[in-house]
Amino acid sequence: MSLTKFDYYAPERVEDACRLLMEKGEGAMVMAGGTDLLIKIQRGLLKTQTLIDLQKIESIHDITFDKDKGLSIGAMARLNDVANHPVIKEKFPAVSEAALATANVQIRNMGTVVGNLCNAAPSADNAPVLMAMGAVVNLVRSNGERQIPLEAFFQGPGLTVIQKGEIVTSVFVPTPPAGSGASYQHISARGKVDISAVCVGVMLTMKGKTCQTARIVLGAVAPVPMRALRAEKVIEGNPISKEVLEKAGIEASKECKPISDLRAAAEYRKILVGVLTARAVNEAAKRASKKPN
Amino acid sequence: MQEFVTIGTNVTRTHVRDKAIGAAIYTDDIRLPGMLHGRLLRSPYAHARILHIDTTKAKALPGVKGVITSEDIPRIKFGNWRLFPDTQDEYVLAVDKVRFIGDEVAAVVAIDRDTAEEALSLIKVEYEELPASFDIDTSIREGAPVIHEAFPNNISIHRKVSHGDVEKAFAESDYVREDVFHVHAISGAYLEPCASVAQCDYSGKITLWTSTQVPYIVQCLLATTLGMRENDVRVIKPHVGGGFGAKMELRKWDFCAAFMAKKLGKPVKFTLSREEEFETGRRRHPMRIYSKIGFTKDGMLTAKDLQIYLDGGAYNAMGPTATFLCGNYGLMLYRYKSYRFHGQHVYTNKPPASAIRGFGSPQSTFCTETQMNMAAEELGIDPLDLRLRNAVHEGDVIPELSKIGSCGFAECLEKVAEASQFRKKRKNPKKGRGIGIGCYSFISGGVFNWFNTQYPFSAAEVRVFADGTAHLLTMASDIGQGSDTVLPQILAEELGLKMEDIRVTSADTAMTPQADLGSWGSRVTLMAGNAVIDAAKKIKEKLFGAVTAHFNLNVIHDLECKNGKVYSKGRPDKGLTFGEAVALAQKFQRGEPLVERGSYTPRGKGLVTPAFSFGAQVAEVEVDKDTGLVEVKKMYTAHDCGTVLHPQSVEGQLEGSIQMSLGYALSEQFVLEGGKTLSTTFLDYKMPSAMDMPESESICVDTYEVEGPLGAKEAGEGLVSPTAPAIADAVYDATGYRCYDLPITPDKVLKGKTKL
Amino acid sequence: MKQLVTLNVNGNTYSLAIDPWRTLNEVLREDLNLTGTKLGCGDGDCGACTVLVNGRSVSSCLTLAVAVQGKEITTVEGLAQSGEKLHPIQEAFIEHGAIQCGFCTAGMEMSALNLLKQNPSPTEEEIRTAIAGNLCRCTGYYKIVEAIGDAAKKMKV
Ligand SMILES: Cc1cc2nc3c(=O)[nH]c(=O)nc-3n(C[C@H](O)[C@H](O)[C@H](O)COP(=O)(O)OP(=O)(O)OC[C@H]3O[C@@H](n4cnc5c(N)ncnc54)[C@H](O)[C@@H]3O)c2cc1C
Ligand code: FES
Ligand code: FES
Repeated sequence: MSLTKFDYYAPERVEDACRLLMEKGEGAMVMAGGTDLLIKIQRGLLKTQTLIDLQKIESIHDITFDKDKGLSIGAMARLNDVANHPVIKEKFPAVSEAALATANVQIRNMGTVVGNLCNAAPSADNAPVLMAMGAVVNLVRSNGERQIPLEAFFQGPGLTVIQKGEIVTSVFVPTPPAGSGASYQHISARGKVDISAVCVGVMLTMKGKTCQTARIVLGAVAPVPMRALRAEKVIEGNPISKEVLEKAGIEASKECKPISDLRAAAEYRKILVGVLTARAVNEAAKRASKKPN
Repeated sequence: MQEFVTIGTNVTRTHVRDKAIGAAIYTDDIRLPGMLHGRLLRSPYAHARILHIDTTKAKALPGVKGVITSEDIPRIKFGNWRLFPDTQDEYVLAVDKVRFIGDEVAAVVAIDRDTAEEALSLIKVEYEELPASFDIDTSIREGAPVIHEAFPNNISIHRKVSHGDVEKAFAESDYVREDVFHVHAISGAYLEPCASVAQCDYSGKITLWTSTQVPYIVQCLLATTLGMRENDVRVIKPHVGGGFGAKMELRKWDFCAAFMAKKLGKPVKFTLSREEEFETGRRRHPMRIYSKIGFTKDGMLTAKDLQIYLDGGAYNAMGPTATFLCGNYGLMLYRYKSYRFHGQHVYTNKPPASAIRGFGSPQSTFCTETQMNMAAEELGIDPLDLRLRNAVHEGDVIPELSKIGSCGFAECLEKVAEASQFRKKRKNPKKGRGIGIGCYSFISGGVFNWFNTQYPFSAAEVRVFADGTAHLLTMASDIGQGSDTVLPQILAEELGLKMEDIRVTSADTAMTPQADLGSWGSRVTLMAGNAVIDAAKKIKEKLFGAVTAHFNLNVIHDLECKNGKVYSKGRPDKGLTFGEAVALAQKFQRGEPLVERGSYTPRGKGLVTPAFSFGAQVAEVEVDKDTGLVEVKKMYTAHDCGTVLHPQSVEGQLEGSIQMSLGYALSEQFVLEGGKTLSTTFLDYKMPSAMDMPESESICVDTYEVEGPLGAKEAGEGLVSPTAPAIADAVYDATGYRCYDLPITPDKVLKGKTKL
Repeated sequence: MKQLVTLNVNGNTYSLAIDPWRTLNEVLREDLNLTGTKLGCGDGDCGACTVLVNGRSVSSCLTLAVAVQGKEITTVEGLAQSGEKLHPIQEAFIEHGAIQCGFCTAGMEMSALNLLKQNPSPTEEEIRTAIAGNLCRCTGYYKIVEAIGDAAKKMKV
């Protein structure tokens, strides 16, 4: 690894990690799987003096589920652990699908869902569904902790609300209300294993054939994952018909603000947003109606 | 036709065991005592004058052992086209000017890679930026920036070929169409980044291990650039992790490793990073192809006018050959009553293009085959029938250029149509589905000596031993395609031995017989194979003499080597084991071992190749009407590669070529901005993964090529050409979108579709 | 800056003093001379550097050597029982012609092992997904997929 030289710590308690972060100052960074971080260090994009590896902190590896409250994904839970977790597959299939859609096997064995969120790439595969499902991020610092809705977590490409000395210990997903369903849809223009050109996460609650509430989150089409509020309005209070799907797609594609990059042109991304929004809403509705009301 | 014993069977490939257990040594795996590590400083500008280079700080960094710029080394231009020194346009390190982002400016050698890397950042280069050109149109415009002073119009090569009166033929044609196609650059994307390790002995002689397809060419050009004699340089090719044409030149790190090893008296290694490979590596030529073709109303081709501009990037590299070959590919496959070709190789301020699998063929075949498909539709003739009417056949003469030997093209068309049910599926389209076709013909090595070698094109040395074994030495380079398997296999067949009886030593310029031009242009099997047979024949002559004498056989007896024996065909009881025969023959020479040299140089084989391969491919695709995404469901291939020497390897070549061509057709491309490559990782340069691959079904059409070893000819390189036009045709069939500019991206499909 | 690290590779224990920024790939190749594990990109994209850590496949180019202390590391050199007895995955790769240039092979075999440990009877689709992080430019993956399918059968008997 060229140029950047750093010290390495692997504390065993969250407090120690937070303390180290404060002590070591500006150049201190935490590492989960390292699949984003180490690449950035190698390319000289980050000036790291101290690397704080979280893997030895046992308490943050866990995935726990409490059916009254919800699902808690620890900061060191690897993408594959989330993708293959029997409870997540059964009760939060879209969360599992999003984790499975991230990268390839090796990277999923290393990388974490929380790392994916903290890295704050606009295209992060795990963000849209979790945001649509109203996930909350748990942040801990030496002298306290706070909970921030994922929706308020991102501040720009690579930027989050995480403050100096803070680490994320878990992300919490509330148990979805009865009659709800979620879906994750993503597409690359260039092959099946790729960073998503567009990704969409949706959660709906249905009453009979009618949609009560809708949350649609678009990824890779704005500096941060964004709610498609106008598209949500199109759906709420309506049955999920072909026309409604189409209209929601059109609204979502009008709302998003994609850029052109080497993965896809902005114009094409807008088209994909329309298509994927309709597909995700449709699947979420189907899943909602499969569950007993 | 011959009956074979070893040929045509899937003998275990020579090095696969070593590769399976991780024991095969590739260049970067080599570690020598005291070895130093080098890195290259590259230009950040696409076109700039170098005003001043200050290396003091870099040299002062602890751990740095040497820093060189063009001031410190012989200023000798090099290039593969030695026959035409005007085409040799590269210096090892930039002299006065840089011509693309990534052009090598200086080299650092240090105790480790990190130190060398750090030293690079301490070299201060003052540049004066010059206007640059990034495309063909800009380069050929009046007043364009001049990239090489010797070529003020930026065109470094012209190639013209013609026969017949094209204008008259067009005037008399019932149907004429002209089109312009744009094709893009792709990377060879071999998995092993380039690397070299050099060592210099006490007497100043160099040994270089390098990841190359052409050890002999590297030896010669390295000697020239170092100002040394050829024999003072030894080049060894370790295992190579793929080349695909992009490793067929002397590369700058080869020189820098050797020069620094000599200067410092320590072994030196250079290994490129993947980023460097993508930013600066050799790539397939982008081209602008104008083609006009004429037909009679019953679909007989009358004329073709083909004008191609090749975007060569900053240096010629293998561009001259590509320019030359495009003219040939333009008139292979079909009978053109008249033909005119003008190819022009244009300099631009981009990384040099060179020879990537197919060497001009994927580009010109994309044009040929797409036009055939368009013409078929407009003439109202089935695309298969149109091809069958115009297909070349055995014995056809390509005016002024060549004569077609064995040719299974028509049969390939029939077979692939049958396997894919092309006609039926074309007539009964399913929504979202499409089927399309593309064909190819390719060379089995070129006949033209641009390298100006003074040796035969290929050579082999065979040594046989009284213990019943043989040793094959050849400079042919196995870069994964399997020549270290197929050449001994040919020898085994000739000498009646088993594979395990044969040891093979290859691609070491000090140990293996002079010479071999390398692994490219699908030349190895045919040329080195013929050299092996030549050597084997001489060995056999000696063995037959010994057996004849031993049994006092009548001179009219016909002898053969088979199943480990040497005997009279008519009287199989009159024979010896192979080892006994060798022992006896050796006695006749009073102990001198039996060693024979064989060689092959194409002579009197026209101006193209000794043998042509053929094939036809059908693609079935599914297109998502909403997203425009194309999924290739199945590829059907029928190809004629003469005798199939090793079926698994031939299939492997075909299957690998489907991956590469699928990428060419759909997903692979370099994204550049102002001459800077943005796609510098495999995440951004997208080649197909195992999940993207279609099903594949293939048929080998049985032919026997008399020019080839045991009837064999080219397999695997030509196959990269039909895939993109077949997929493009299938996409057209499904959507009405006709692709004129590769790759076929989903946004183009959505914009261009007229149905679905 | 160097840290004393104990690495357990293929059942052998190595004590080394290493800089914390060095990757497992570098340490395997440069310090332990286990050059069977390749470096094709260094970006986690190509899979040529795949090794198993505690039984799971990871990219050794994106793993810090100091971070895998005390864990069980398996590289391609640890697959075969002996020079004569190869691992069924290796045998299948050889038999099926799944190896051309061989640069992707070690990584492919390790990904195959990762798959077959978790899923002894994978479908073709599952095999393709399992090696989606391993690029190969030579084979088009066909024979590799076949070989892994066959290795699964071989490993059951
Ligand atoms: C080949 C490859 C393919 C990829 N493909 C995809 C893809 O398809 N989709 C996708 O979304 N991503 C992809 N990625 C990106 C990456 O793998 C994911 O974002 C992954 O989830 C990151 O997790 P990690 O644990 O490795 O994060 P790390 O690299 O360890 O950390 C990422 C960032 O988050 C910070 N961080 C991590 N954990 C915490 C914490 N608990 N508290 C505070 N800060 C923290 C780190 O300091 C760092 O800045 C790919 C990466 C590679 C190398
Ligand atoms: S070298 Fe690690 S993934 Fe390519
Ligand atoms: S065999 Fe060459 S890359 Fe896979």
